[in-house]
Amino acid sequence: MSKVAAIVLNRNLPEVTDRLCGHLQRHDGDLCDVFVVEAGSDADQLSRHTTWHADWPEAKAHGLRYSRGMNFGLSQLWRDGRFGEYRAFFLLTNDTELSDRPTVAPLLQVFDDHPRLGLLSPCSKRWGERLLLGKEPIKYFWFIHNNAYLLRREFVETIMDVETPDFMNFLFDGTNFRGFGNESELIAKAYVNDWAAGITSSVWAEENEAYLLDRADLIKTEGYQKNLALYVEEGRRWMRKKYGFNSRWSLQQYVKAFYDRFFELHPEYSRFRI
Amino acid sequence: MIHRRLEAFLEKRRRTLIGVGPMSLNCVDAAIELASEHDIPMLLIASRRQVDSAAFGGGYVNNWTTAQFARYVIDRDKKGKVLLARDHGGPWQNTQEIANNLSLRRAMESAKASFKADLEAGFQVLHIDPSVDIHSRPDVDEVLDRAFELYEFCWAEASKLGQEVIFEIGTEEQSGSTNTQEELVYTLDAMQTFCKQNRLPSPSFVVIQTGTRVMEMRNVGSFDSPIRVAGELPAEIQLPKMIEICGRYKVFMKEHNTDYLSDESLQWHPRFGIHAANVAPEFGVAESRALVRVLREHRLDALADGFLEMALASRKWEKWMLPDTKATDEERAIIAGHYVFGHDRCREIKEEAAAHLRNHHIDLELHLKEQVKSSILRYLVHFRLARVA
Repeated sequence: MSKVAAIVLNRNLPEVTDRLCGHLQRHDGDLCDVFVVEAGSDADQLSRHTTWHADWPEAKAHGLRYSRGMNFGLSQLWRDGRFGEYRAFFLLTNDTELSDRPTVAPLLQVFDDHPRLGLLSPCSKRWGERLLLGKEPIKYFWFIHNNAYLLRREFVETIMDVETPDFMNFLFDGTNFRGFGNESELIAKAYVNDWAAGITSSVWAEENEAYLLDRADLIKTEGYQKNLALYVEEGRRWMRKKYGFNSRWSLQQYVKAFYDRFFELHPEYSRFRI
Repeated sequence: MIHRRLEAFLEKRRRTLIGVGPMSLNCVDAAIELASEHDIPMLLIASRRQVDSAAFGGGYVNNWTTAQFARYVIDRDKKGKVLLARDHGGPWQNTQEIANNLSLRRAMESAKASFKADLEAGFQVLHIDPSVDIHSRPDVDEVLDRAFELYEFCWAEASKLGQEVIFEIGTEEQSGSTNTQEELVYTLDAMQTFCKQNRLPSPSFVVIQTGTRVMEMRNVGSFDSPIRVAGELPAEIQLPKMIEICGRYKVFMKEHNTDYLSDESLQWHPRFGIHAANVAPEFGVAESRALVRVLREHRLDALADGFLEMALASRKWEKWMLPDTKATDEERAIIAGHYVFGHDRCREIKEEAAAHLRNHHIDLELHLKEQVKSSILRYLVHFRLARVA
């Protein structure tokens, strides 16, 4: 069985990153290769598992954030000719906390059971979505806000930008730096291309926001509130410029329209519709 | 007839009805005037703490009893645009019923007496909400049984009086958390079956949690939040699902706790097809703010301070505070301001201020009413109820 490439994004939090990498190697080492993207980290704050270091001046000054960071990692695999080795890509920020048990195998099992699933997110105990899942281990969604996604390679191949395979363009739109709305765009691209996006309770993952709240200086980012304001402001500007959408609700309705159409084409998956 | 009228109004043009909390005399006047000026139906949604029958000692709004409040509105609402609505009627929804530690049966009797007074006074919309219980945590079936009992009672009383009434149901709480789809479907199923079996009209409105929650002077729910709210379903998921279910059951969807939502979120209400939305404390806060501002602008600081001290001392702000609140005393007082408008001391302060402001050609009550009107108008515009040039 081909493996999964787990790409972990780090910026100046080596211990946190190493803990997550260690967890993946310990529980999922047989099924995944772990890669670390250093998103402009300082030279003395690199993870022991560092694979690629975005160390150009702009990256050092502002970091990469999720979209550019994951584009960077994925495009490096592409350039290195290793992209095709993997059946899926597990994109994680270093503040992701996983249960003390294997993560990748249960996620791959869900992929096996759901051949049209292009994107899969573990659920969190703090999310209301767990109520919708109920006894079902997976449901398909039109909106998934997370920092941990497993992407099927075939899905990525459907939409990736191979003409400019770089940190700005490979999968996510890097012009939307902080990424408000980027996950919705990705999900829209999935449903448009006949792939589904799901949340599963087969695996639980939590985002530990304490690092963002308490160690913003070390991560060299703005304080939590300022970062949030910029995240929304930039995202809104981006969706207006790119789609002519003046509200997040427009983007949401856009995605939902393709979600609904997916089930018209695939009534066999209706029981996974929320 | 009432239901049909509302349905026709909503079918004519995509819009969202507003339920205005009668926070004060000025707020009631503002609502009546706006409904008339814009020719729109408007619900005045009185909670039992705001207005209740004489047997319960009335409410804090202008010290009105149900009958006095209804008479006041009916007399002034020349075009008949205002619908008198009871918000959260049910057992233990009045502070006396809690203070007296009433048993379930006594609290149900008490709730019925309050509903009876509503109907006798001419209320046209009754929200039956038996979700509060000070002795236990009733499950959904127990809450439904209590709702059925009250529903049947109210319909029988209305029939006796020859009074037309429509109903709102929903076990709404200010939790901001999610009514699951299953719970909503279960409730609507059970209610429709009950109504069919007993030949009662189906409820017109059902309360839906859309991710709105009011704390302090903002909406902290997920509706307006670009990021996750712990434990809640993102509004992006919750809202379309709830609308879909309400459409299936042909029931109007009513949102509570709509206060302080952004203009953008309000503009989406008619687009989503949210039929009605309740707003209350924001209008009380608008009036308190306006009062303090005008007093300060005219160097009536002692009067402003007197009002704020009184509001702060009432401690009515407590239930609105966030756990990690950083609110100042003045902000707490503003939150609680409308609860003391009916107090004698507050009336004295306003009379003294009015006398002084008259010299500056300002009619204080008119000024305050205009401020509340402007606050309500924001909703009318975004809900497509009013066209503003």
